[in-house]
Amino acid sequence: MAGTLSRRLFVEMFREEFRLHARLFGGRRFAAFPLFVALVGAGAVRLLVEAGIDPEATTAGFHALVFAFGLHTGSIGLVGRDAMRDLLGDLTLLVFSARTLPLSSRRLLGVFLVKDAVYYAALFLAPLSVGFLAVGLGLHVALLWATITATFLLGIAVTMAAIALSTRGAPGWSVLLGLAVAAGLAWTAGVDPVGFTPYAVYEAPSLGAVVRAVVPIVALSVLGIATYDATTTSPSRTAGNAFESWRARLWFDADGLVTKSLLDVARSSGGFTKVPFSAGILFLVSVGMVDLAGRLAGVDPSIAVSMGAILGLTAFTTYNWLTQFDALGIYLLYPISLRAVFGAKFRAFLVLGLPTALGYFAIAVAWRGSPAGEVAVGAVLLVGLQLYLFGLTVYLAGFRPNEFLFDTVLFAAFTAAVAAGIVPVLIVGFVLAPVDAVALAALALLAAVLGGAGVGLYRRAVPRWRRRYRAG
Amino acid sequence: MTAIRTEGLRKTYGDVTALADLSFTVETGELFALLGPNGAGKTTTIEILTGQLVPDAGTVEVVDTDPTAEPVETRRRVGILPEQESPPSFLTPREYFDFVGSVRGLDPAPLRDRVETWAERLSYTEKLDTLNTDLSRGQQQKVMITQAFLHDPDLVFIDEPLANLDPIVQERVKRFLARYRDDGNTVFLSTHDIDVAEEICSRVGIVSEGRLVGEREPGALGRGESLLDTFLDSVGGSIEATAEATD
Repeated sequence: MAGTLSRRLFVEMFREEFRLHARLFGGRRFAAFPLFVALVGAGAVRLLVEAGIDPEATTAGFHALVFAFGLHTGSIGLVGRDAMRDLLGDLTLLVFSARTLPLSSRRLLGVFLVKDAVYYAALFLAPLSVGFLAVGLGLHVALLWATITATFLLGIAVTMAAIALSTRGAPGWSVLLGLAVAAGLAWTAGVDPVGFTPYAVYEAPSLGAVVRAVVPIVALSVLGIATYDATTTSPSRTAGNAFESWRARLWFDADGLVTKSLLDVARSSGGFTKVPFSAGILFLVSVGMVDLAGRLAGVDPSIAVSMGAILGLTAFTTYNWLTQFDALGIYLLYPISLRAVFGAKFRAFLVLGLPTALGYFAIAVAWRGSPAGEVAVGAVLLVGLQLYLFGLTVYLAGFRPNEFLFDTVLFAAFTAAVAAGIVPVLIVGFVLAPVDAVALAALALLAAVLGGAGVGLYRRAVPRWRRRYRAG
Repeated sequence: MTAIRTEGLRKTYGDVTALADLSFTVETGELFALLGPNGAGKTTTIEILTGQLVPDAGTVEVVDTDPTAEPVETRRRVGILPEQESPPSFLTPREYFDFVGSVRGLDPAPLRDRVETWAERLSYTEKLDTLNTDLSRGQQQKVMITQAFLHDPDLVFIDEPLANLDPIVQERVKRFLARYRDDGNTVFLSTHDIDVAEEICSRVGIVSEGRLVGEREPGALGRGESLLDTFLDSVGGSIEATAEATD
């Protein structure tokens, strides 16, 4: 009876997940997604190998990415419902039905975990592994698939155990802290944590490696399922009235729309810190990329030109933060036009995003050094690319930039348009350094064109989205 | 004086016809309810009347404005309480009302007085500084009711006004709406709650499959007549059939 019930739950959760993704990926487009994943995976691996990256380093990085994906998937399942609601409206998943059905939250969570493992292993991780065939790693594909699936499960198990323990108040947090301290002590004592992950099995398959990899996954899963308390609630949060004082400081915000946007960002998880934090990740990655490009090309890249171009990409994450906790519906109740709403997002973007990106740009050029002319043009490029990405994102995705991540066609269009703007700049920055005056003038002109195109796209986006929203 | 006039409204979503030739008028000072089963087209009607949606065909006039051509002007003159929308998650009710006041161009001092009055009327004064995301559904509904009336509009569109409210607050809202109409204002209500329509509305339009299929003044119902019978006659439903089906 219990086995039949769990099987039925598994089938329904699997169906639910499939329909959720089919809806997110635009219905029939979802059928093409595994193929898209395989092609992107193969392309990325081929590019890395062609660039001289060691295949073993590539597979290690691949495991790390899948682990991060697992961590993220675990959080979507349990705490990321607000983000999903932004995309799909009110969302109720079977995993949360312990309050309405005679099912224990432990059984629901256990089946949810198994469902995730099977679902993602089949539809995402298998195509990704097949992508490695393109670089002659065919002999290891089955092993790779098994170890990245286990790595994905490890990521989910870590998140679930952490979230489950956090629902148990101080005792739960104490256990969590104890586990973190124990792991830290083991690491400082010379214990290699990678030896307890599925990647160790990929590196050197043996029964012992399998046991060492499986035990943490099982232990963390059991811990998560045993301690998760679905009835836990967080206390109500209060705040003093900040609206009028903020609006008074923002002299350009007569209608209060910018103030509302900024308050949304400030009050949601992570506050304003999440803007420089997400930009900081890109900053660190881009510093590494610039170094790598220097080693591969044998020429010191132009720090200012390269970083100006790459940091332009932070426009997307900033716009994402500005719209993540907002919905267009609330504005349709008031005498304000869509032009005013998008215009406020633009001003909020200029307030939050541009100074953040310029700040990291200043750190990069101060840290690594760059000729004055390149610094000036790099800054202009940064501003031009930020405007371009902002306009492009608003034009393609309107108020829901997250949809890029779930719509194959939109994502491909966005990627192509970004590449068209940024790749020529990166080639100059990576290969033609030090950049001569003619090339610098051309880059400054390109920045102006991109900035103009961004503003043009943003202006055209307003009537486009007005027509769409009002058509229903 | 006519507050709302529609003629031949039509709206489709792909293969689904939400409105098919919907025509009606509402006079100033009426408390008019659009009553209909789920999916009859009530919410679509409100969204067209307030300029949120554009009809595929037909004409519409709301307090001397054309919501299709000048949605911002229409929304300046009316109040809107939608069925599904929640107040912004990370603002408190007090901050949200300041925001509403700023987009509607209201003076801060009288606005604050109105907020206090409404919070007292709907019993949520102690929640004015709690983040909206941490309010219950009923408390969020109270906040949304308040925002619809802050600028004292002559016409208010309300989609399911009593959803999630406790009985005491429901009664207060019903009494307020009746008083509001008595003061010469107009209320356009969308509901599938027959008791509410019968109790407080001066006229009820029954909509089914996107068409107006009946109209009735609850105050003119004869002895032994009920709005429920009129509704069932109009939409072709039967309680007995439903009961048998569930037995």
